Amino acid sequence: MRKNMQKHLVMVMALTFAAAMLASPFLNEATAQDKYPSRAVEYIVPWGPGGGADQLARKTGVLLEKVLNVPFPVIDVPGATGGTGITKLLAAPADGQSIAIYIADSHAVLATSTASWKMTDIMPVARLMLGPSFLFVAENSRFKSWADFEKEAKAKPGTLKVATLGFGSVDDITLTFLESKGVKVIQVPYSKPSERYVSVLGTHVDALYEQAGDVRQYITSKQIKPIVVFGSQRFPAFKDVPCSKELGYDVGLPQFRAIIAKAGTDPKKIKVLSDAFGKVAATPEFKAFLEEQYATADSFMNHEECTKFILSELDSMNKTWGSKKKK
Amino acid sequence: MLDILSHLGVGFLNCFQPVNLIFLFVGIVVGLLVGVLPGLTLVMGVILVLPFTYAMDVTPAIVLLTAMYVSGTYGGAPTSILFRIPGEPIHVPLLWDGYAMAKQGQAAKALGWTICAALVGGLFSAVIMVTLSEPVAKFALTFSTPEYFAIVLFGLTSVVSLGGGSLTNALISLFFGLLIATVGVDATYGTPRFAFGSPILMDGIEFLTVMVGAYGVGEVLTRLGEGFTTVPVETVGAMKTRMPSFKEAWGIWMTFARSSILGTVIGIVPGAGATIASFVTYGVEAQYGKRKEEMGNGIPEGIVAPQAAATASVGGALIPLLTLGIPGSGATAVILGAFLLHGIQPGPQIFITSTAMVYTVFASMFLGIILMSVVGYIAIKPLVKILDFPESVVSTFIMLLCFIGAFSIRNSISDLWLMVAFGVVGYVFEKIKFPIAPMVLGTILGPLAESSFMTTMISFQNDWTIFFSRPISGIVMVLTVIALILPLMKKYRKIRHMKKAT
Repeated sequence: MRKNMQKHLVMVMALTFAAAMLASPFLNEATAQDKYPSRAVEYIVPWGPGGGADQLARKTGVLLEKVLNVPFPVIDVPGATGGTGITKLLAAPADGQSIAIYIADSHAVLATSTASWKMTDIMPVARLMLGPSFLFVAENSRFKSWADFEKEAKAKPGTLKVATLGFGSVDDITLTFLESKGVKVIQVPYSKPSERYVSVLGTHVDALYEQAGDVRQYITSKQIKPIVVFGSQRFPAFKDVPCSKELGYDVGLPQFRAIIAKAGTDPKKIKVLSDAFGKVAATPEFKAFLEEQYATADSFMNHEECTKFILSELDSMNKTWGSKKKK
Repeated sequence: MLDILSHLGVGFLNCFQPVNLIFLFVGIVVGLLVGVLPGLTLVMGVILVLPFTYAMDVTPAIVLLTAMYVSGTYGGAPTSILFRIPGEPIHVPLLWDGYAMAKQGQAAKALGWTICAALVGGLFSAVIMVTLSEPVAKFALTFSTPEYFAIVLFGLTSVVSLGGGSLTNALISLFFGLLIATVGVDATYGTPRFAFGSPILMDGIEFLTVMVGAYGVGEVLTRLGEGFTTVPVETVGAMKTRMPSFKEAWGIWMTFARSSILGTVIGIVPGAGATIASFVTYGVEAQYGKRKEEMGNGIPEGIVAPQAAATASVGGALIPLLTLGIPGSGATAVILGAFLLHGIQPGPQIFITSTAMVYTVFASMFLGIILMSVVGYIAIKPLVKILDFPESVVSTFIMLLCFIGAFSIRNSISDLWLMVAFGVVGYVFEKIKFPIAPMVLGTILGPLAESSFMTTMISFQNDWTIFFSRPISGIVMVLTVIALILPLMKKYRKIRHMKKAT
């Protein structure tokens, strides 16, 4: 008798699971036909928790929820210069239920041709942030300025270590450009932001390639300082720090953080998202966030502008990287 | 010192403000619940709660998250001990002795030891955190990837004691686990490995899927194979003791001391968290403990070591977070996020600019650990009562929890199939008496070992001697080598001894 009951139990359990598994795709389809978005949109951050992309997603996720009335749960999927997270985005259907942060470093992988995705796989939604990158050294470092750093890098090529995000990133392009000009360093990839920052604070590396906003707490507490900003002009917040162009290095691939969806997503849905991000970008909260992050005031671009921008960035990355390859 | 004490006194008073007290309690309870669900890890739990803290003041927000962090290091213990299902990766080492003890009819006692260990480890690290924050924080900066690799490698050597007697089997199982860990896009160069063009395999196989499958589903399948006739672990009526007596606890004070210190230190190291602390401490206990031969057979040392270290790592991890702004683990990275979103930047200046907040958080650690132990203690009796239910019913719920857990990792049905597949692997291993633990160990620690090894090789231009020439990693590496050679030596001596006898 008891044995029989157990058998029934097992059967009931098995059937419940079978039914649940079969039913779930139909359920999704039914709701997706209605108004978009009608349920939570997965917000993928292809980087570790605590980093700049993560902070941006968490800030905008909350603001977006107020505009579109559905939650935007943030998921951190770090690894492979963003490749792991983008793979996750592309593994989901093109129904607008998943969006991802897309940053210059991931974009650079396309130029350096080790990417697991193609430009045609993704659809830009909006650009949220634009800011230049810097080289930082520890406050107690023996390098007081770019001149010190440059001198030693040229005297002993391939001995100074610079912490970067990963191979094939913007960091990689910029540093290999410097290498072609005689400043040769060892790039050490740290995909976890915390390990990257410890590496410079603990002087396990000589310098850190990073955007200022991501390391604000170490700058304000005087643990690290910038020695050069990459681009054609100095950054207003650090007037005494030279820009790379005035030093004779014409490279300036700014860091950007944009939003992408999977290619093939309904253009109407992309427009809904792009407009919502526009509203988010106009809030005083987000403007304050941009300033705190040392980003430029004209950071926001909608779907069309962002698509143009991302394509032209890819062009200049290809040029910088290509010229190095030929040498 | 007096300064610290008076600040801490004010901190305790602040803690007793209703808002802080409520969120402290909520954090403890939610942390325990998150721990119970296999697959829903402590870090994911903290991430899920983070959005709720945006609207709160900064102090209750941090108190809430810290409380969750503390109690999450205990929450997975009951399921490990009672059902052999680790609710958290932290509790994989705990179940080796915890479940064995429960099978001997001492489930309540095993839970008692766990609480005792969490209490001692937690309070110890909290004291260190309050008194030695500044000098100890500088120590955190001396760790780099060679040290991370050495520590993880040492954690991997705890397999030596897990093979059920056969080192060969343990190593085969371990390397199988490491192989599983390499599936997917590699973290350094972005190369797909063993993916066979399948998007799911590209994403990699989550260690949680393996853990929940091999332990949870595997265990249920084993019981099903036996027709759910396993002798009940214990009847509530027969249960007398729960907490270990002071005399018993004092008897293994060395284990408590060693594990609490080690747990705190590993917590301070930026690349390691509670999980590594728990594995490494178990390994140390199995190598150098007084009763190392009996580890894995249900002795209190095997429960106390990983649990004390796991909870102790919390205080350790908060030190570099508060004093340097460096998150040392997944959970502290989220707490850092909460700080930043409230416009507070942790760092040396925080002790001056936000003294009241910092010391309230400190005080909440002490209260949280004690509160957690009380809640845990009260929960023992109802938890053990679950074992009185018919096994088939309990197994159904276990299955349900496993499915929910595996699905919640990344909301993918394919993960459920993977979990079932690993359930079958676990079942077959169990049937042929092949050790499961090393495989799970390999999938958890494999990716960490790989990325720290690769970064080291790049940073030091493929010079492997660096692992031995840097002082801290050198010491850990030597300990690792000893741990691997010692059992071989013993075996060799045994064989020689036998030859002499004949």
